Amino acid sequence: MAKTILVVDDSASLRQVVGIALKGAGYDVIEGRDGADALTKCTGQKIHLVVCDVNMPNMDGITFVKEFKKLASYRFTPVIMLTTESQESKKEEGKAAGAKAWVVKPFKPEVLLGAVAKLVLP
Amino acid sequence: MKTIFGYEGSVNAKLAPLAIALAGGAGTIAAGWSGWGWYTVLWAALLLAGAVWHAYAPAAAAGGDTMIASYLQGREQFGAAVLPVWGRHMENSRTQMEDAVSDLAGRFSSIVDKLDHALHVSSLAGNQDGAQSMTAVFSHSESQLASVVASMKSALQSKQAMLGQIRDLERFTRELRDMAEGVASIAAQTNLLALNAAIEAARAGPAGAGFAVVAQEVRHLSSRSAETGRNISQRVGQISSAILAASHAAEQSSDAEDQSMQSAEGMIDSVLADFRTMTDALVQSSDLLKQESIAIQGEVGEALVQLQFQDRVSQVMTHVRENLELMPAVLEENRRHYEATGELLAPDPAALLDALKSTYAMAEEHAVHGGSKHVAPKAADADEITFF
Repeated sequence: MAKTILVVDDSASLRQVVGIALKGAGYDVIEGRDGADALTKCTGQKIHLVVCDVNMPNMDGITFVKEFKKLASYRFTPVIMLTTESQESKKEEGKAAGAKAWVVKPFKPEVLLGAVAKLVLP
Repeated sequence: MKTIFGYEGSVNAKLAPLAIALAGGAGTIAAGWSGWGWYTVLWAALLLAGAVWHAYAPAAAAGGDTMIASYLQGREQFGAAVLPVWGRHMENSRTQMEDAVSDLAGRFSSIVDKLDHALHVSSLAGNQDGAQSMTAVFSHSESQLASVVASMKSALQSKQAMLGQIRDLERFTRELRDMAEGVASIAAQTNLLALNAAIEAARAGPAGAGFAVVAQEVRHLSSRSAETGRNISQRVGQISSAILAASHAAEQSSDAEDQSMQSAEGMIDSVLADFRTMTDALVQSSDLLKQESIAIQGEVGEALVQLQFQDRVSQVMTHVRENLELMPAVLEENRRHYEATGELLAPDPAALLDALKSTYAMAEEHAVHGGSKHVAPKAADADEITFF
């Protein structure tokens, strides 16, 4: 059975691009257009990993990760931050929120897939 | 009294805002060329446009202070009128670009799906895996046909063995005919013996009468034996003829079957060779398709990297648009400062630039802000991922 990955990004094109890479590798993909939308979408779903942008309207990525990690079902679900942000201070925020990896856009599909394969829950 | 653009008043009072605007515009254009980028050029355009606005404003016909106040108000109105339009155009362009790239990404997704499907179908024809592959079907067919040919050869060999046995029967019938001829010869000799016995019985007179009867019976028996021998010989001859005819027919049938067998074997070999040529071609085309598919997937992967630049451009445009939206407030503040203090200051670009800088998320934004003309970020390699 395919594993499910939640992709959170306010850019529809980025969600498409990430979706193409993940679906091509055999993963199922659920999309959220921002943090608040993603929290709604993941309810009741088995999520094996999250790929999340940082700068988004309504609820940014760091806040989303904090809220997501408060949910008992997703306490141990790994999160990869996929963002244009490359500042160390932002990375530290992501780490403190509970993210497991930080990938800077633009990304190579094989690089993202490598990180996903390394972290995705069994 | 001098007239500037048709307005009367003190030269200083009338020229001051225009001079400030021109100086500010020229300064910021110079700053733009020297490395502040198009943002400062935008400032210059705004200031120059404000100056032109002021120059033609009827309110400037009043005194110096009134004219300056009017200029500042007009400039503020100019900003309030123009900047939202620019912002909407930028946002509209950004949205259109995002929609187009999203659609483009969707089409790439469709291409990848179709490619995967074609590869899957093609792999069934190739020799990659699965019992349904064309190569497997060929091998299975070849094996089954070989089995059929072997079975037919075995049947032909059995038939030839039977023909050998029929030929043996012909030899047996020849021996039987010889035996029948032997019987006929014995009967003839017995007849001759009986004739001699009858002669001797006649010479013996009455004493040989009984012997003459025996001799007569022996002659009679020899005659029947000769008749039986002839019958046997005749029947054996008939059987022999029948066996010869059957043997001849069986030989002809065997020859025809042998030719038919060779012909069938040749045709099967020919069909299998054609089939092999076809499957080899299919496997080759399947391999080629796979190679091309891998190459296309590589190209699609590269395209996916390039498509992400829309997101970066979109972010930059959003940051600039949001910064543009701050401009009316800056102009208003500038006017209020003049009204409160009478001090006419050029708007300070640092406030807006600092606000713009605070929104930057990408290293290239900082680089461009610092004066770089063109910064092209590359896609992150695996060793650039930060794991926590």
